[in-house]
Amino acid sequence: MRWFETPNFDFNGARKVAYIFSAILFLASLGAILTKGLQYGIDFKGGKEFVLDFENPVSVVDMRSDLSVPLGATPELKLFGSDSEILIRTDNEQPISEVQQIITSSMTELYPDNPFTVIKTDVVGPRFAEDLKSGALQAIIYAIVIIFIYILIRFRNWTFSAGAVAALIHDVVIVLGIFTLMADLVPFSLQVDQAIIAAFLTIVGYSLNDTVVVFDRIRENSNVHKGMDFMPMVNKSLNDTLSRTVITSITTLFVVTVLFIFGGEVLKGFSFALLIGIVLGTYSSLFVASSLVVELEARTKKS
Amino acid sequence: MQGNGFKIGCIVAFLALTIYYLYPTVVWSLEQNYMEELSPSERAQYQEEEQQKLEELRTNTLSLGLDLQGGMHVTLEVGVPQLIRELAGENADQLLNDVIDVAAERSLENDTDFIDEMVAEFESRDPDARLSRYYRNDAMDITRRSTNEEIATFLKTQRQSALDRAIEIIRTRVDRYGVTEPSIVKQGNNRIVVELPGVEDKERVRSLLKGTARLEFRLAADAQEFRGFVNSVYEYYDDYTESADTADSAASNQFNPLEEVLVPAQSPYLVGYATPEDTARVMDLLTTEEIQRMMPRSTTMMWSANPLEGQGGSDLYQLIGVRTQVELTGDVIEAASVQFDPATNVPEVSMTMNSEGARKWGRITGANIGKPVAIVLDGFVFSYPNVNTKISNGRSSITGLDGVDEAEDLVNILLSGALPAPLEILEERTVGATLGAESIQAGLNSILFGLGIVAIFMIIYYRTGGGIADLALLLNIIFILGILAAFKATLTLPGIAGIVLTIGMAVDANVLIFDRIREEQRTGKTLKASIEAGYANAMSAIVDANVTTFFVAIILFSFGVGPIKGFAVTLMAGIVASLFSAIVITRVVVDYLTQAKKSAVSFG
Repeated sequence: MRWFETPNFDFNGARKVAYIFSAILFLASLGAILTKGLQYGIDFKGGKEFVLDFENPVSVVDMRSDLSVPLGATPELKLFGSDSEILIRTDNEQPISEVQQIITSSMTELYPDNPFTVIKTDVVGPRFAEDLKSGALQAIIYAIVIIFIYILIRFRNWTFSAGAVAALIHDVVIVLGIFTLMADLVPFSLQVDQAIIAAFLTIVGYSLNDTVVVFDRIRENSNVHKGMDFMPMVNKSLNDTLSRTVITSITTLFVVTVLFIFGGEVLKGFSFALLIGIVLGTYSSLFVASSLVVELEARTKKS
Repeated sequence: MQGNGFKIGCIVAFLALTIYYLYPTVVWSLEQNYMEELSPSERAQYQEEEQQKLEELRTNTLSLGLDLQGGMHVTLEVGVPQLIRELAGENADQLLNDVIDVAAERSLENDTDFIDEMVAEFESRDPDARLSRYYRNDAMDITRRSTNEEIATFLKTQRQSALDRAIEIIRTRVDRYGVTEPSIVKQGNNRIVVELPGVEDKERVRSLLKGTARLEFRLAADAQEFRGFVNSVYEYYDDYTESADTADSAASNQFNPLEEVLVPAQSPYLVGYATPEDTARVMDLLTTEEIQRMMPRSTTMMWSANPLEGQGGSDLYQLIGVRTQVELTGDVIEAASVQFDPATNVPEVSMTMNSEGARKWGRITGANIGKPVAIVLDGFVFSYPNVNTKISNGRSSITGLDGVDEAEDLVNILLSGALPAPLEILEERTVGATLGAESIQAGLNSILFGLGIVAIFMIIYYRTGGGIADLALLLNIIFILGILAAFKATLTLPGIAGIVLTIGMAVDANVLIFDRIREEQRTGKTLKASIEAGYANAMSAIVDANVTTFFVAIILFSFGVGPIKGFAVTLMAGIVASLFSAIVITRVVVDYLTQAKKSAVSFG
């Protein structure tokens, strides 16, 4: 089977449309992040989380009202995978054993005939959460800096570095934006936590994978076709590698979809981030990264 | 097939290593299955007989993370400001306390080193002052003339050794508690990460980890003086109610706030009794400035460690008056063990002191016959027995314990020594065993489905080439597990996610190569030449693509904690293994097939 045997798409010709599309997505994401704020999970916000596994299905609404009084403030409650597993998050500052005591006694009272077990507890102190947050931010910043330097050394051209890094930032911000906008719409947690940061860095790695393969072809083609103009050469390189780009995206999407469906509740948000990230990363290496290089090259040549 | 001899050698060596490292894991799981089928007594006997073999297998097995097998993960922090304060001992004054408080806050805010902040703050108050006046230490060569810089270095060494000591102590405590394969590691310059697989009793572990084990013997408060204080406290709150009464008739039904939460006591050393929920409120009321002023200077109040059963089965804690001065500390304890009171069969902890302790204990008991001596651990009074005779053999015991478990834990804590500074729990995560088992199942399903779909797609798209890539993919997964086992890494749920992701991305190198071969074929080259050129030309893209992802994995590894580290490790192992299998293994197979039958290989 052969797809895209000798494709001849005008990627660079479509770049204006792509810029508008990307700009809208990027600004909307930035807007959502700035106005609504990132929905931090327990790792970055601190607090106490409990997952209770009941024998029979239970009602989140009943529970929320029943726990509000003894816990002091309205706790966050949501289903955790099935409708008999519940995640309870609270900022109650009493020691963990007492908070758990409050929850278990309230639940026993509310559901005397529906026994449950506490299958997971997480406690993160506010100070520790702060540390995790700054660690995560540092990780992303270091990743971007190191990638910039590596591409600079490998391709000896700062415009390649700039194009790749701009595409990465584009991808990460839009995934964050989608997370923020969709947080309340999907039946699973889209809170930003450590696992999501890992997913982001993986997206960074993946998007870069794609981009670097294209860059590599641009470098090769510019040695083979010496007299060719830069823009058509970039376009040719994109077409040359298109089959590979699509096939790898497909296989990776396959497994990430499998992870999303079968990976269990704990990995839902993580695999969702990867799912969007792979689509976006493929798009950005085709339309954003190399187009920016073309743009920057043209500008540096002129001056 | 020139040069393939070396490649085949590499593959065989790599496979052999993988089998060597995975062998214990396979045998271990077979052993476990076998033991499952035995009756409990047979199993115990088998474990006894094969103990050494089983132990060896277990330590070389690819271990599962807490999120997969269930257990408890705790991050603790050494209270450095308290440690630094205590190091100053009697020299500490108001100035030092202020400086420490400011530095503690600032180091938190700015994410800077506490000791550096402390020196800076101290010097900002008086540039000529020397910290050496607090920290003279002849043994460590710290004299009055030592510069502040030297003091800072000294304090940092002390902090480091306090952290090391704390880790040692926690290790001893955890070992005695009986957790298999605990992991206790240092993180940064004041944190300790403890992982306890399979632990269920969270409360017990918390007190085990946090107990500083500061044991003190103190005299009870002066009975007359203390009773006077207690009476005036009650009078104060009675007046308080009355004055509220006259001021506002609507509040005439107002209760006495203290009697609401504290049941008065008649004993000369007790303030009263309170339920567990009320203890914090009682302390609020008793630490107001007015009350503190009434309190005898040499006296302090402490809660009992364990509650008495009050009327109607409710628990009541006692608030006891003790002297501020500490007569004897736990340093003198040489041995401790659980004993049972022969009359009541109630457990207690009996302690033996060294000779110096015994001498002091004799003097203290001799001088206080007929009076109570409080035995205080970590700020809670365990018992305050009356001294009947002078005790000169250096024996004492802690009674008033809440069962055998507590007695055993207490012995454990006493024997492993006092923590140099209090530890605070910053983070605690617990996963139940059932959730862990579900996660393993989910992970396995994902790996199998992912592998299946990708394998079928590759065969459809690349024909023989796809089949060869699939073989490489399968070996790739086995290699990843082998690498993880070899480096004694832990397999976590995100780690499994990493493997699944690797399955998707591992074929990338082959996709690059095969697509390149197709391109070369289009230019009219022979199959053999196309293969040669395809592998050669795809190489630089493959290297660049993987090196960048490897960098990202390294960053994840250095910044992430716990499960994220697991993800990073599998990602790294995945990159190494997939490069090897995609480039070396497929090449050998492709070469073999093209040599054997001229047209056997198709790339679709």
